[in-house]
Amino acid sequence: MIRKIVVIEDDQPILDLMGILLKKLGYEPVLIANGLDALTSVRADPPALILLDIMMSPLSGWEFLERLRTECNLREIPVILFTASPTVPERMKQLNDPRLGILQKPVTFDELRTALAQFLD
Amino acid sequence: MERQISIRGYRVSHTDFVRFIVIASLTLSSILITAIALVRNAEAIYPQLFYFPILYATYFYPKRGIILSGICGVVYECLVYFSLFPDTLALWSSTGQAILFICVALAVAYFTNMIRVSEARYRSIFENSLLGVILFDKNRFTIRLANQQVATMLGYTVEDISRMAFSDLFFSHDLQRQFFEHLGSGQNIRNFETCFATKTGEPHWVNLSWSRIDDTIVSCSIIDINAEKRAQEIAADSSTRYQQVTESSPTGIVITEHTKILFANPAFSTFSGYGPEECLGRDIAESVLDDDKDRFGTFAGRWDIPAPVPARSEFRFITKKGEIRRAVLYFTPITRNNRPAGLVNFVDNTEWEEYRERIEQTKERRREMMRAVAHELRTPLQPVLGYLNLLLQDPQSFGITDETRQILERCAKSVDQERQIINQMLELSVLEGEETSLDYSVFSVGGMVNAVIAGGGYALKAEIAIDIPADLLIEADRQKLSYIVDVLVANGVSYSKPPKKIWITYRGSPSHPFHRLAIQDNGVGITEAQLDAIFKPEEGGSTGSSNQGFGGPGLSLAIAKKYVQLHGGYISVDSIVNIGSTFTIHIPKKRPDKANHHDT
Repeated sequence: MIRKIVVIEDDQPILDLMGILLKKLGYEPVLIANGLDALTSVRADPPALILLDIMMSPLSGWEFLERLRTECNLREIPVILFTASPTVPERMKQLNDPRLGILQKPVTFDELRTALAQFLD
Repeated sequence: MERQISIRGYRVSHTDFVRFIVIASLTLSSILITAIALVRNAEAIYPQLFYFPILYATYFYPKRGIILSGICGVVYECLVYFSLFPDTLALWSSTGQAILFICVALAVAYFTNMIRVSEARYRSIFENSLLGVILFDKNRFTIRLANQQVATMLGYTVEDISRMAFSDLFFSHDLQRQFFEHLGSGQNIRNFETCFATKTGEPHWVNLSWSRIDDTIVSCSIIDINAEKRAQEIAADSSTRYQQVTESSPTGIVITEHTKILFANPAFSTFSGYGPEECLGRDIAESVLDDDKDRFGTFAGRWDIPAPVPARSEFRFITKKGEIRRAVLYFTPITRNNRPAGLVNFVDNTEWEEYRERIEQTKERRREMMRAVAHELRTPLQPVLGYLNLLLQDPQSFGITDETRQILERCAKSVDQERQIINQMLELSVLEGEETSLDYSVFSVGGMVNAVIAGGGYALKAEIAIDIPADLLIEADRQKLSYIVDVLVANGVSYSKPPKKIWITYRGSPSHPFHRLAIQDNGVGITEAQLDAIFKPEEGGSTGSSNQGFGGPGLSLAIAKKYVQLHGGYISVDSIVNIGSTFTIHIPKKRPDKANHHDT
């Protein structure tokens, strides 16, 4: 079975790249450019994992995560924070959530593969 | 001293001797004249002659005078009996006369004695008085009498003073004139303060009171107030100096009773905005900003407790104009008019605080900007790195030739380097913002070092000699400590000379409070001047970074240093040029408290 991964990212070139890389790694990418649409999509069809950008509007990555964790059927979905902001790791550490991972932009192909494998294998 | 005459071993004063001659000759003359008159049977007999020696003797020597009167009476009686017996009337008359001699002598002796006692009493008062007493002639100012006190006070002898004029005693003509004006008023004056001159010409303060005894003589009592005046002058002098010091002081000086202001200097007036008069009686607490009032209350509450060192604390105050100013207060307990008081120094540090805040803000803005810039640099790198990785992952499917692949690999390497540098910059900015915490765990030092060597492939680049006890455990943030070791080993490898050799040695001992891990190379060494710069990214980071493959030693060493400091430790460097350098990581065995994380 091909596992579905939702990528939420407002930067179009990166979104396109992630689509290609995830396909190459053998996953089914769902590319969404903003948090609100993503919430609708995830509710309709829960994925195996979410790659989440943080600095987005109107819904930031943190807000999206907060809402996701309040919904009981979505709560268990692993989320990898995919960000270029240097303050995210410290904040993530404070949440102390085992279903939460981080990838700091820019990531290499190998780093992406390792991170995904950690949650999905 | 009275002159004395010596007669057969008895010493008799000259005066007594003369008086004795006079009394004896008068007595003998009286006896002789009376005897001749009686023998010649003269009409008039003068027993009154006897009164001369009797009165004279009794006046000066009362007891002996009475004895003399008795002798004279008996002699006169004998002469009359011998010449006129048995004339009964004459005999009775002479007996009466002899008795009268004795009675007169007794009366004179009695009154003379009374006068003597009274005179002695006044003399003793005059001589033994603690006050100086001078009697002087108010017309010619000659001194009639002066006691020992006056003489001692001014350094003269009583004889010296007695020869002087009263007006000569004054220190200056002005003072003399003032005295004459008061004397001329004709009243009895009390507590007239003036200054006399001593024998050596020094001023000597006295308090005069005088009254007139008769038309010409004035009795003047003199109280010595010199010591008191001197003390007043010294006090006035020291208070003048004190005033000068406080008035010119740039810091606010306030004397308080509890928190009420008894004195405030001009600098405090300027600070508080209240005029010098307005300050007096104000409560310092009224000017303290509401938020600081509780703290001030606690601070002021300790003022009554004697402390060996001045208490110190910083508060915000509201000036008269409503501005907020900051000052550091130093409190020292003092005594004022025999009552406990406080000396409070106000050091205005409003400007200093403003500068400090501004510097903090600037620093924070710089960090913010660095993060924003780094974020903006990182994001566009993602597609570049991602697509390069994609192409290199499976070159054949994209129809890439070997030559093109080599070019793409070089591109990927550069992009990766760029990424590392940006990551380090960001890490440093996060560390400077003190937002990092450590994940402590207990792990094997040897295992950690081996993992770092293997991960960096250092064994291929240099000979690595590791000397770490196999069972040695450390409590630290494993990831960060690995980074520190990695940076120092990479640095050693880069700078050592072929044949490259690195020694990694544990130098702790069970009793030492620090773990010490030394990383030594056989490199070019570091000069004294470079030592300060190597941990500074802005100086070291710009040199030799292109050939490191590790972002640059400046940035990574600066990060390593921060990581060690987060652990409560430090890095020391020993280096000899052309022999090599030793970097030693010092990590405390006891995990520091949270509060100690950033104090190095």
